[in-house]
Amino acid sequence: MKRNSSHQFATPARRDFLYGMGAGLGSVALTSMLRGSAFGSTLKTVHHPAKAKRCIFLMMEGGPSHIDTFDPKPELVKRHLQKFTRSGKEESAMSSGDRYFVKSPFDFIKAGKSGADICTEWEHLKNQVDEICFFRGAQVESVNHPTACYQLNTGNRFGGDPGVGSWVTYGLGTENENLPGFVVLPRASYPQGGAANWSNGFLPAEFQGTPLRPEGSPILDLSPPKGVSRERQRKNLDLLSSLNQQHLESRAGRGDLEARMSSYELAYRMQMEVPGVLDLEGEDKRTLESYGIGDSKTDAFGRKCLLARRLVEKGVRFVQAYAGNWDSHDYIQRAHGSLIKSVDKPIAGLLKDLKERGMLEDTLVVWCGEFGRTPDNGLRGGGQSYGRDHNAKAMTMWFAGGGVKAGHTIGATDEIGAEAVECVHHIRDVHVTLLHLLGLDDNRLSYYHAGRYKQLSQFGGTVIDDLIA
Amino acid sequence: MRIIFILSILVLSVGSSLAEEPSKGEKLFALHVKPLFAEKCNACHGDEPEKLKGEFDMRTRETILAGGDYYGEEVLLPGQGEESFLYILTKRTEEDYEMPPKEADQLSEEQRWWIRDWINEGAPWLDDERVAFIQKEYAEGVQVVTSKALSDDWQNRRYESEKLWAYRPLVVEAVPGGAHPVDHFIEKPLREAELDPAPSASPIELARRLSFGLTGLPPEPKQVDAFASAYRKDEGAAVEDFVRTLMATPQYGEHFARQWLDVTRYADTAGFANDYTRPNAWRYRDYVVRAFNDDKPYPEFVKEQLAGDEINPDDPEHLVATGFLRMGPWEQTGMSVFRETRQQWLDDVTDATGQVFLAHAMQCAKCHDHKFDPLPTRDYYRMMSVFSTTQFADREAPFLERENRDWFDASDQWVQAKVASYEEQKKALNGKVAKQKKEESGDAKVGDNGLDPGDEASLARMTKNISRHQWEYDRTRPIAFSVYTGNTIEVKSVGDRIMMPKAGPWKRGELESAAILAGGNAFSPTDPVTPGALSAAESLGEMGEFSFPDGKGKRRLALAEWIVNQKNPLTARVLVNRIWAWHFGKGLAANPNNFGGTGGIPTHPELLDYLADWFMKDGSSIKRLNELILTSETYRRSSIHPDPKRLSEKDPKAVLYAAFAPRRLTAEEIRDAMLSASGELSDRVGGIPARPDVNVEVAFQPRQIMGGTASVYEPDPLPEQRNRRSLYAEKIRGLRDPFYETFNQPGPDNSCELRETSTVAPQALTLFNSEEVLERAIALASRVIGETGDSEEAVQRAFRLSLGRHASEAELAACLAHWEQATIEESGKTYPAKTFATEIERTVMAEKTGEPYDFVEHVPAYRAYEPDLHPGAVDPETRGLAQVCLVLFNLNEFSYLD
Repeated sequence: MKRNSSHQFATPARRDFLYGMGAGLGSVALTSMLRGSAFGSTLKTVHHPAKAKRCIFLMMEGGPSHIDTFDPKPELVKRHLQKFTRSGKEESAMSSGDRYFVKSPFDFIKAGKSGADICTEWEHLKNQVDEICFFRGAQVESVNHPTACYQLNTGNRFGGDPGVGSWVTYGLGTENENLPGFVVLPRASYPQGGAANWSNGFLPAEFQGTPLRPEGSPILDLSPPKGVSRERQRKNLDLLSSLNQQHLESRAGRGDLEARMSSYELAYRMQMEVPGVLDLEGEDKRTLESYGIGDSKTDAFGRKCLLARRLVEKGVRFVQAYAGNWDSHDYIQRAHGSLIKSVDKPIAGLLKDLKERGMLEDTLVVWCGEFGRTPDNGLRGGGQSYGRDHNAKAMTMWFAGGGVKAGHTIGATDEIGAEAVECVHHIRDVHVTLLHLLGLDDNRLSYYHAGRYKQLSQFGGTVIDDLIA
Repeated sequence: MRIIFILSILVLSVGSSLAEEPSKGEKLFALHVKPLFAEKCNACHGDEPEKLKGEFDMRTRETILAGGDYYGEEVLLPGQGEESFLYILTKRTEEDYEMPPKEADQLSEEQRWWIRDWINEGAPWLDDERVAFIQKEYAEGVQVVTSKALSDDWQNRRYESEKLWAYRPLVVEAVPGGAHPVDHFIEKPLREAELDPAPSASPIELARRLSFGLTGLPPEPKQVDAFASAYRKDEGAAVEDFVRTLMATPQYGEHFARQWLDVTRYADTAGFANDYTRPNAWRYRDYVVRAFNDDKPYPEFVKEQLAGDEINPDDPEHLVATGFLRMGPWEQTGMSVFRETRQQWLDDVTDATGQVFLAHAMQCAKCHDHKFDPLPTRDYYRMMSVFSTTQFADREAPFLERENRDWFDASDQWVQAKVASYEEQKKALNGKVAKQKKEESGDAKVGDNGLDPGDEASLARMTKNISRHQWEYDRTRPIAFSVYTGNTIEVKSVGDRIMMPKAGPWKRGELESAAILAGGNAFSPTDPVTPGALSAAESLGEMGEFSFPDGKGKRRLALAEWIVNQKNPLTARVLVNRIWAWHFGKGLAANPNNFGGTGGIPTHPELLDYLADWFMKDGSSIKRLNELILTSETYRRSSIHPDPKRLSEKDPKAVLYAAFAPRRLTAEEIRDAMLSASGELSDRVGGIPARPDVNVEVAFQPRQIMGGTASVYEPDPLPEQRNRRSLYAEKIRGLRDPFYETFNQPGPDNSCELRETSTVAPQALTLFNSEEVLERAIALASRVIGETGDSEEAVQRAFRLSLGRHASEAELAACLAHWEQATIEESGKTYPAKTFATEIERTVMAEKTGEPYDFVEHVPAYRAYEPDLHPGAVDPETRGLAQVCLVLFNLNEFSYLD
């Protein structure tokens, strides 16, 4: 086990970043270009042998209920509609006042060889549970959507820091210089907190998550404006290039100017490449069907899952796909029921497809929301509605592929699902574990900014060994 | 073996009486090894005996000798440093046993050798008394008197003297008569490096440098001509004149305000789940513009922002200035715990005040005494408690005569139209309910209330947006986004104007006490604290101790006065360093927000101190400081050094100012420069936030807020409303304009000490493909055709307006040919007239069903929308030239300033 130099993440000496190796979308492979080569693979070295080389992160925005998906609570059947009152200065208004317990409207089975708990709404995923490691020990610090989303996505509740995908791309670089290293597949409506959920924070801009928008132009301004043809654009680029060249002649050694010139050529090529990646025409019918593409219930998320596979296949390092909104304060049977249906087949299809292509073993798939939900509900609109509030103390996340302990359920919540009680870990430990699986050491994946070394876990965390095969 | 070692400890520690000359090993232990263990090792190996990592305890020599669960006796072999794993592991070559584990904590070679040499000397261990004696008599480094640390070790620790520079009083060296102080101090290290500076920049370069540097805008061609001819006669006089001329324009204050607002994190919304409007924040933005234009003495500027309400609550300007205290993102929803959001703001304002005025990231000392700087946690909470009686209020503050009240009616009318359209839709829905409503059943089935799930979500969405828009009426009302001093009153949620308490500030609520919070947790108070500031500045800076009022006193005013006290070693240095960095792209001390040990040490400390002293003695005028800096030869230098090879040899870090450092324009400057060249830029100053066109896909994208989907972004209807300077563009935390974001505009959540520049392809996509930039090119083409008589002149005029210079013959020929060809292509094309829908249909998810639903939203701004000049409005010749203009806007020369 020989390790490479640990000094790859040096202090940036300047505020002007020029990107060489490991560049992402829109960054410029200056070093390789100056050597005259094309945009080759620029894989950075990992800290330790990686179990996974890439990650697909399925973000169930809004907070899916663990109690109604993967963590059954028979005790709630007994307590169903029992009333109680909760108060206290440290309680959110959401969880205080008159409350009553709510049983899950769904039936549960023990699925697969591993006998994993899963509700029967997951008609397709129940056949994949042996690939999955369920984790019931995670906790976050906030019961508000944007702050919890920020914490889950960036480690910092108040936002402004780099996303997990940014850190991973910063650590590992990308394998395809014409595509972003970190791609986000958001819903048409962005989550609370907005694009800061995939921000590069204090990391250089090349590590920013690039949203491929589900409607309109997938990347903003990817095509010339109306009336400007490709030929016209090429001619404009040629004039630009020749005028820039004259400007450069008296400014020898100005790498920033050369980099900027190259970025125009890269942008031009992206215009060609990106639509091809997004075009699912080339996929066979069976594949499309297995993701649920073509069925109005599952089409939207099916496309995201298939696109995620296509992107990681092409060398994108980290893809985050959003589904939601799982914020079911009311009518959880109907709301969670249709949400589960909308993602069930696509996710099962993704796992199967990755497996068939031999990609699952080195692709880490993560499924989670920003928090779990409560076993009880408040009186909403003065009456009862079978829904659940936000719960930062208990949730279910699951992992598949890339070196995780498949076919296991790790950790546990208490008898009503109010709080994690076994293998309890702050979300930062999940982050550290995720990096670990990708061959990165959180303590060494640091970046000097504003006078201190910063890291994803903020102040350091622990690898959750129980999750690792 | 074990027994012998234990005996030797006894011999070593008992045998040496206190006054005895310590051995080499003893000195190593007391001065280096023990403090090193405490700093780097004991957190995992002793501080928490029940949670020892690897069962290895470093609290005593004996436990070290015993080893841990992986390495045993080989951990410490007294006399054999090279073989002891206590030393070996610090080399970080043993897989999974790199110590300390964090890369950022790794030991320097010198530190590792202390351990090795100490082991070679027999690894002597001493009692605390002997350690204290040796430290007192023999320690190097400097101790600093501070308020009181959480631990004795920290209290007694020593600092490398050079890293304490910022706390020490200014050291002012005299400048020989006739010499320019800036050049005097810059020249010396250049001479020592035997490096000749670059010659002066060309007049055109310098005209652009000065104009962008002071106003953020390109110079007018006639300004360039006038400057060039004056410059050829007398460089110094021409620069001085131009600097004064530029600083007399209102655009100066706008540009400097933009830079100041980066530091204070200006935005027009509150962020997080609701991202509510801050309808009166714009008055703080304009206050900052006025302050720079009026050249308000810096101490007043500081005091008004920190304590304007305590100084003069009857002066609107003083109230508006305190908007500074509320600039950070903040919200209180029904879901928030009040004590937590209150603490969040206290932390935010404490840290912001530290960074902005004192170049101290206070947050680093919130949970523990500062790792590197003489900033004990107590100081953090002392400063925090200055704000314990500060309360939010949107206070009555009549408009000043000078405040821009343009388009107030238009703003109100738009809000009214928006609210009315929602009300109308809501009424229709409610009508439907009245018809269909059934008895709500115990099982609460969706639809029982007569609404379809989509309707239900729509109703919530409309109700929420109505209340959001109604708050926007306050944009035009005489209200200041401000604070007052008083008791803390618990509130449940904030979704509307915060009023002053009717009964007075001290009647309701309670006087908030302040204490050191264990782990920064709002619910874990420990030692009570009273207001204060940075104790190291008081001791090392020889300020003497200050007493701050407590109770109902004017705490913020006291802090402000402490900050602007002439003896405060930090304040003037921080300010002159910022201004320097704004002009040169880097500070004399590299981190304008961090003067601590981890920030950059000044490259020219004598110059920094001279300028700080000069600034204070001269009346703390930022305009005069600008003039001093910009009239130096140092500022005037060309960005191209005649001998780049020698330059990079002699000055590899580029800190000697032998040549001027070129920079890319900021996002705002790029947009403003295009609008300026095209003649579309409005020169109105201040006023309610402008809503320029943003990429329409982003503008119309649904965006989730608490309880629904926020209204879309609507641009202002008239070109003169939209084409304002970027400073005035409404800054929505949850909806950043992708143009600015792409060009490295920082997010408004954290203080930004200096802009960064990175080159990414989306910048090229935006500048080359976006409709907004093409429209600027059309307008520039149309302008130059209108202003000139023939094609050559038109191209020349376009060059001058966008680059400040004429085109060369080759450039002219290439551009003329390009134009001609593009015109031929355009001749056959027709462009339909631009039309704008006044309602849009969108699809979002209904929370209650997890299913999508459609709704229609009215966008009243488009009812009277007047587009900018666009392809359909001009002839083929203009469209052809626009292709040339588009190329000009994309040139490196356009975006990079020499």
